[in-house]
Amino acid sequence: MKTLVFRRDTLRFPQRDFDMVKEGVLSLSVAGVLILGSAALFGAPFRPAVTNKEAALSQPVVVMQTALGDLDGQGAIASYGPPYNNGWHGVAQSTQAIGPFAPETWWGTPYAIHTANADVLQPLGMLATASGNQTLSAALKTYERAPYGQQQQWDQNLSTALGKARVQGGQVVIPPGQYGPVALMMKDELALAKSGLLSGALDRETNAGPYRWNVQNDLLFLQGAVLTNMAGQINMQGGQWGINHDEQAYPGPWWLTPYTALYQMPPWNTLPNGDQLAAYTMGLMFGLLVVLPFIPGLNKLPRVMGVHRLIWRDWYRKLESSDACVECPLRATCRQEFRAGVDVAPASGVPACYSGRDSQDMPGNTPGGVLHAG
Amino acid sequence: MNWTRIIRTRVSEKLTWDNLLPSEQPVYVSSLVYSFGVFTLSSLVFCIASGVIMASKGAVWYQSGSEVAMYFRAVHFWSVQAFFFFMTMHLVGQFFMGSWREGRALTWVLGALSFGVSVVEGFTGYLSRGDFFSQWNQVQSKDAFNGAGMDGFLNILNNGQVYGLHIAVLPLILILLVGWHLVAVRAKGVVPPYQARALGKGGDQR
Repeated sequence: MKTLVFRRDTLRFPQRDFDMVKEGVLSLSVAGVLILGSAALFGAPFRPAVTNKEAALSQPVVVMQTALGDLDGQGAIASYGPPYNNGWHGVAQSTQAIGPFAPETWWGTPYAIHTANADVLQPLGMLATASGNQTLSAALKTYERAPYGQQQQWDQNLSTALGKARVQGGQVVIPPGQYGPVALMMKDELALAKSGLLSGALDRETNAGPYRWNVQNDLLFLQGAVLTNMAGQINMQGGQWGINHDEQAYPGPWWLTPYTALYQMPPWNTLPNGDQLAAYTMGLMFGLLVVLPFIPGLNKLPRVMGVHRLIWRDWYRKLESSDACVECPLRATCRQEFRAGVDVAPASGVPACYSGRDSQDMPGNTPGGVLHAG
Repeated sequence: MNWTRIIRTRVSEKLTWDNLLPSEQPVYVSSLVYSFGVFTLSSLVFCIASGVIMASKGAVWYQSGSEVAMYFRAVHFWSVQAFFFFMTMHLVGQFFMGSWREGRALTWVLGALSFGVSVVEGFTGYLSRGDFFSQWNQVQSKDAFNGAGMDGFLNILNNGQVYGLHIAVLPLILILLVGWHLVAVRAKGVVPPYQARALGKGGDQR
């Protein structure tokens, strides 16, 4: 005789009438009213993305400092390291590692960016060509032909001066100094950004042709102080639970709360490899959630917590009120399970009080709806 | 060994019409908690439907300011909120019910994996909004993705890749996982209550 391998143990229990299709349609309708209604009433948040033009108009000094950091190689992205470049003189400044474990560096520089060329020299070269600006062309040639030490000296002098720069009538006023061609280059870089053409110049670098899918260089130019300042004004920085909330009163991606919480506490918000640690911490926590059924102790936790008594309160109440043990073949065990002062479960693992033997007498049972599986 | 016969036997044993479209349930299936799963699915239907409409018109459309586009954008936004709300309630409820018991560990694993994929799917969606929220979180998250070593596969600043993941790769994985999760639920049936404990010790029947 063929043995049925699969057995559906829920059929040990008395059954009640249930309309799955009706429940599905009802649920879809209720969800539909909630979702479509909320969309009509509240809309959805949208704050336009920040452009280089807006940044240049609102934070001209910061934009010049960013461009100068890209030119002298000491800016955040210029010195980042893999996957963008090899850092400041071959030493990555932003690569994160746990001891010698630095998977960020395993892939080399797949998204290479040489910031001096990408953000400053190439865009300014195009601007000079397009506008026939001989002064800018000459400045670029002077800079590119100068020895490295001289370039750094000019860059350093201007970097110091920008710290004392003032904005007057929309113009950045820099104290006089030995800046070589760099002051003019940065002034024209700012003008290019103000015109709105810098984004196009940066986007063309990360895309093979007219289709602009990859906005890496555009975003990397803005990613430092420019966006951080703007995010701070609307409480969206990392230390302000930034990613967790959306615009104003709209709910944000609150399901990222555990991840965002890590950034509010040490060591995640203090260590230089905090991002890497946060990613692995979340990975570990998620892994535990996935394998929860196999973790001894944790997989017994729900029974100890006892919330199931609330969820299944109708079931337990029915068992008690119907005196379910009366007709049970395992009557002694059954009564002990309900009445005894000690916790007793049948050795077989079959629930003594609802084994299905006499389920005709069970509350909620519908005639003919009872199925037995042995 | 006949693979066809094995598969046919297993499928026909587990996936009977009685299991797939039950007209009866055990009497203990009587709580609001049981509705969270089906509400999660219903919300997912609206996520997918609004997402498909938005994808068919393209990313520029839903950033255009057109009132119709803004409405579908809002439907997508609120369906995602509903999806995560009901899915979280479903997860918490199933935890308290210890719903991995009696051979249902795979069901739990598939559900938890679906939750994880949904989080990544949601994040790539937030990055595809094309607004300041996208821009800021894109540059903020790059350090975590890079630092974790994901940079070998993912350039989070490449919108073409992020959008492709959001509208094709991750939804396909999610739909497969959710489908498998549903089949696992229907094949084994709803987890039975914990056995009643002694009344004198604050038993379950109280």
